[in-house]
Amino acid sequence: MTADAHLIEHMMNPKNYGNMENPDATGMGKNPQNGEKVAIYLKVDKQDDPLITDISFQAIGCTTTIVSGSIVTSEARDIHFSRAEELVSATLGLLENQSPEDAACTEMVALALKAALDTYNEKQKDPEFSMYSYHITTDCTPKEEENQEEEK
Amino acid sequence: MKQLFKEVHETWLATQFTGFMSQTQSRQKLYEFSNILFKHLTWLENDFIKNNTTYTYDIPQVPIKVTHLSHMLNNIIKRIESIESQLNSCKDEHITFRMASDLDYIKSVLVKLPEENVEKCFLAEKNYPNVELSDEARDALTIFLFEESYKEYELIMVYNYSKANSDNAFLNRIFQILIDESFFHLRSFGQMMAEMGILGVPRSLMEEIYKFDNLEQFLKDGIQEEIGAKEECKKLAAAVSESSEHFADFFTFINNQENYHIALMEEALEYINNK
Repeated sequence: MTADAHLIEHMMNPKNYGNMENPDATGMGKNPQNGEKVAIYLKVDKQDDPLITDISFQAIGCTTTIVSGSIVTSEARDIHFSRAEELVSATLGLLENQSPEDAACTEMVALALKAALDTYNEKQKDPEFSMYSYHITTDCTPKEEENQEEEK
Repeated sequence: MKQLFKEVHETWLATQFTGFMSQTQSRQKLYEFSNILFKHLTWLENDFIKNNTTYTYDIPQVPIKVTHLSHMLNNIIKRIESIESQLNSCKDEHITFRMASDLDYIKSVLVKLPEENVEKCFLAEKNYPNVELSDEARDALTIFLFEESYKEYELIMVYNYSKANSDNAFLNRIFQILIDESFFHLRSFGQMMAEMGILGVPRSLMEEIYKFDNLEQFLKDGIQEEIGAKEECKKLAAAVSESSEHFADFFTFINNQENYHIALMEEALEYINNK
């Protein structure tokens, strides 16, 4: 990741970072390779196409994860679920242009949002449902490490 | 008392990070006051533990982006006044008497500290005084400082939680050394962030980071992380060695300090395994 002014602002002051009391839904994105994870919390206005009225996230992860979480949750605030699903797809579509480490972090955030949306929908059918947790599929091993592994 | 605990935590961080902004003797005073506020946090924490009250280190983001030091000093004074108004939520009068006395003195000093323009701590210029860095080295250093300043804050809180909730003298000695070491590193990195215009308070911790079930696994993971940090320090030392001998020496010094942290964690691990 490069550290341009826009990204540094997200590093210095991550938007929407923190826990949320009594969220309507929580979703989790996880990297099973290294145990990193992102939780996204939603407050939702119940409608035919539900509206995200508040959103926050927490992460055990690196700076790239925090920047991605800050950007994605800012985009997801005050939008309807149909638009949020498009945001998830668009974000996942960006992964191939990123380094493996950055792609893994971005995927984790996108999947956490997807999991939160799916959790909300599931809770409408089953109020006792806890939450969805999705694992990323991107391999975050940097190429040079992969080569070293092969050489061994 | 949970709100009081939260506000003391926020005020400690606000005071510590205001110390990074200052270029005068005020820095030392702010460091000392942040030490006192951290001590208050541990007193309240011990009171929670004594009374079997559950607690977390959950706090909102602490905003510090200002143009002048006085803005932060006034902010800290307001925070202290809010703390003072809630002291009676702690039922241990010995604690609250000591806190009230400390807070009264801190306010009286803060109000007299000289004004400083601190705008450059937030301009994101990413330049370090008297050091020429390539764009790549500058980006690497910027990301390293964000990663490591968070990591040091995390380690302070993790070891503090472990220490507060353990009565094992052997382990607590190690935890206290690691807390002290992390404070030193946090201060080194925080000052560098202020110089480079990228100062920000680390994000709050997820509960499961410090409320872990398996100390052995935590120490094993911690050793691996320290080894990773050593590698980053080596890379940074190499990246800046041509432009700044002082900088390269600093990262070599930090790299070598990680060896001590690893030795301490290995000592703790051995102790647990032999118990």
